[in-house]
Amino acid sequence: MNSDYINIALADDDEDDRLFFTDAFEELKIKSKVSTFEDGIELMEFLENSNNTHPDLLFLDLNMPKKSGLECLVEIKTNDRFKNMVIAIYSTSSSEMDIENTFVQGANIYIKKPNNFETLKKVLSEVVTTNWQYHTNGLNKENFLLRL
Amino acid sequence: MKLLLKFDFTNVCNRLLEEKLKAHHVNYRQTAFGEITLLETVSEEQMKAFQNDINFYGIEILEDPKNIVVQKIKDVIVDMVFNEKDVNVKTSVYLAEQLDQSYSYLSNLFSEVTYTSIENFIIIQKIEYTKLLLTKEELSLTEIAYKLNYSSVAHLSKQFKNTTGITPSAFQRIISKRKENKEN
Amino acid sequence: MNLTPNNYLKAAFGIGLFIILCIGGFTYKHIQSLSESSKTVKSTYSVSSELAKILSNLKQAESGHRGFLLTSDSIFLDPYFSGVTQLKENLGRLDTLVPENTDQRKNLKKLKSDIEKRFSIFKRSFGLVDDKLILSEDLLYVLHEGKMSMDQIRKDLVNMQDLESRLMAESQVKNEKAMDLTPLMFFGILILTLILLLLAYAKMNKDLMELKDTNDDLVVFKKLTQQAEKISHSGTWIWYVEEDEFYYSDNLFNLLGVEPNSFEPSLEKFIGFVHVDDREGLGQQINKMIKEEDLPLVTFRIVQPDGTIKHLKAFGKLIENAFEEKQLIGVTVDATEEYENFKLIEQRNQELERNNKELSAFNYVTSHDLQEPLRKIQTFISRLEVKDKDNLSEAGNICVEKIKSASARMRLLIDDLLQYSRTNKTESDFSETNMNMLLESAKQELIDSIEEKEAVITSQNLPTMDVISFQIQQLFINIIGNSLKYSREGVPPKIDIKHEEVISSEVEELKDSFIKHYHKISIKDNGIGFEQTYAKKIFVLFNRLHGKTEYSGTGIGLAICKKIVDNHNGVILAEGIPNVGAKFIIYLPYLK
Repeated sequence: MNSDYINIALADDDEDDRLFFTDAFEELKIKSKVSTFEDGIELMEFLENSNNTHPDLLFLDLNMPKKSGLECLVEIKTNDRFKNMVIAIYSTSSSEMDIENTFVQGANIYIKKPNNFETLKKVLSEVVTTNWQYHTNGLNKENFLLRL
Repeated sequence: MKLLLKFDFTNVCNRLLEEKLKAHHVNYRQTAFGEITLLETVSEEQMKAFQNDINFYGIEILEDPKNIVVQKIKDVIVDMVFNEKDVNVKTSVYLAEQLDQSYSYLSNLFSEVTYTSIENFIIIQKIEYTKLLLTKEELSLTEIAYKLNYSSVAHLSKQFKNTTGITPSAFQRIISKRKENKEN
Repeated sequence: MNLTPNNYLKAAFGIGLFIILCIGGFTYKHIQSLSESSKTVKSTYSVSSELAKILSNLKQAESGHRGFLLTSDSIFLDPYFSGVTQLKENLGRLDTLVPENTDQRKNLKKLKSDIEKRFSIFKRSFGLVDDKLILSEDLLYVLHEGKMSMDQIRKDLVNMQDLESRLMAESQVKNEKAMDLTPLMFFGILILTLILLLLAYAKMNKDLMELKDTNDDLVVFKKLTQQAEKISHSGTWIWYVEEDEFYYSDNLFNLLGVEPNSFEPSLEKFIGFVHVDDREGLGQQINKMIKEEDLPLVTFRIVQPDGTIKHLKAFGKLIENAFEEKQLIGVTVDATEEYENFKLIEQRNQELERNNKELSAFNYVTSHDLQEPLRKIQTFISRLEVKDKDNLSEAGNICVEKIKSASARMRLLIDDLLQYSRTNKTESDFSETNMNMLLESAKQELIDSIEEKEAVITSQNLPTMDVISFQIQQLFINIIGNSLKYSREGVPPKIDIKHEEVISSEVEELKDSFIKHYHKISIKDNGIGFEQTYAKKIFVLFNRLHGKTEYSGTGIGLAICKKIVDNHNGVILAEGIPNVGAKFIIYLPYLK
């Protein structure tokens, strides 16, 4: 088991959502380092700087100004440097078409933002656990699809 | 041209380990899959160099005895699921037999170390295997359910959906669309 | 080819010529026979006169001879010799007059020999006279003999005269006969010619009338064409291929914005009017037209001298006229109005599309954006509930509960509304899909409640259809979900799905459809059913048959189903019997 903390990033333009997110990780007591970004541009600038450590798990809101989550997803997926990054879509949309499309574009996880803080905690914990299982048990990342 | 590959992970891991141990001049004997006994003392420096080398391939040396047991449990389960072992007895009995420990001990230990249950781990492995069969072997869900000893297709379907949040058909569709996208 | 006026004329001319030639032939023949008969008459008279002269000369010679015999005075010999000489001349002339090998010739011969005999008698008598001055016995005998010879000659002459008269009479009879026929003939021919002339005149008159009528029609037609051209804003043109000459109708000039016939029509001149940007394209079409002698529909713009831009359409067709000359006849139409109308419609369509898009975007955005604050409310309440539950009064907790349930209800509504507004029709989303797969996916989505209710779903094999797969899957989910939800207490749901192909004319609800074949998919359950009177109402947005507390729901699920089926140009119907079950029938077009 990896004794290091898990590196998590979230790109979401909604301040409240970022707050819920970081609070949830704090309360979950998962050994993690959470960094947040206000939009896609800010996120991509961070990622493209090779001095920064890449997040293990990246949460992307779809609806963001300047650069949408989907655009970020496509960019990340076409860059070989980020191929080990697990990408979770974190969005309000529950459109089946949107969901399937993000999966097809390479997202591993799709989370519909929950309406309940406790649910959010549960969902995030499940994501981290599943991710960890994929990480530690050598499961095929290609088949890593999770919808919550 | 496109090649579909099937790996014998056990073989690959054993070969790799063998090569690396030889490269570091370590005298050893393999006692089980994922378990070797060193036949002579190894210096700390030599050990570190070896550890760094194999870390690159995602192989870790487990030092905690608890971890070792958990890893053994996992290995037995993966072997059981992926090699379609015909296990007549309950999995709990099978695990206890294989590891020569009581199931409640193993179960507690597993939960303590992994934050998840053995049952859950088995489900995850079965679903993983289902995914593999769905995409690589292109078997139908009915065939898979039969192969994995599920009582019904509905049961497998339900478990798949509960574990991954998506239905087997959606999964199959997504993977095949990804392939299409890559080919274009 | 049929008889054209041209050939008629030729035939009439031929017949006329033939008849005139016949008339000429007949006339010539008649005149010839007339002149022949007059010749015969003339020769008969000549012969008669010669014969008379012969007799008189003979008489003169005889009287001279008698005188000499009486007187022996040689003075009497003069008339004798002149009579002999003239007689010889007469005989010579007769010889030429009487044709050879005829009866008359024989007569002449006899006459000649008789005359010679007479003369030999004369000579003999002269011999006798020299010796004796009186009438001797011999002389008397000779004289006697002379008289007999003379009688014979007279007889000969009469014979000849008779024959000649007879010949003449015969010829006259023949002539008269011919002369009798001639006027009749001439008259007949005259009448015939007259009839022919009349016929030709009538025919020509008729043709002329027809020609005039046709001409009148042509004039009217031309006027009509001109009017039609004016009203339809079109012009016509002819390209005489062999001569490479053009004819433009007046209105074609008008279309170009110039006075009719203000220039000699030619290709180059025309191209001069064409909009610079369209010249190349039209040039290619015209080159093709010249090569293939055919002009398919082309559109191009022209610039009138005053700068007005017009959109024109042209179309040509090759014909061959009566003289086998090639002509490309064409019509050029001012399509400016059409083009502008099209533009306008396109603009309106775009507007409509934009409005529709805006409307659905508005729908989507409102429901989508409403989600955010609602989610925040719910999340904050959940935090309040967990963290500060104990700090709140009982009333406060009740309030929190109320807020929670109200916001949960709102969430349900918004989610369904969102789904409803998302159920749009985009042609590109249609694809050939195996309906069994969609049904399977729907069943997988509903697996939890199927297991929970122990529902049994049976289905026939479904075909592959051209559908929006997400929507049809949603349709199955909603209808089967509906059946699961409205199941009877304690009765495990049994859902039966059937498929068949139907012909629209045989189905009441599809009678007005112009699509012939439909897929009929029916989904039947054994649930609580409903009163048939509500069969239409249940598809209306926000319409619910049950109280909120009995069954949760927003009344959107079936409205979404209807929208989905509408998107596929289909029909959805519901049949229900309370406490027996409900049946949903979906008709989707089957384009074979």
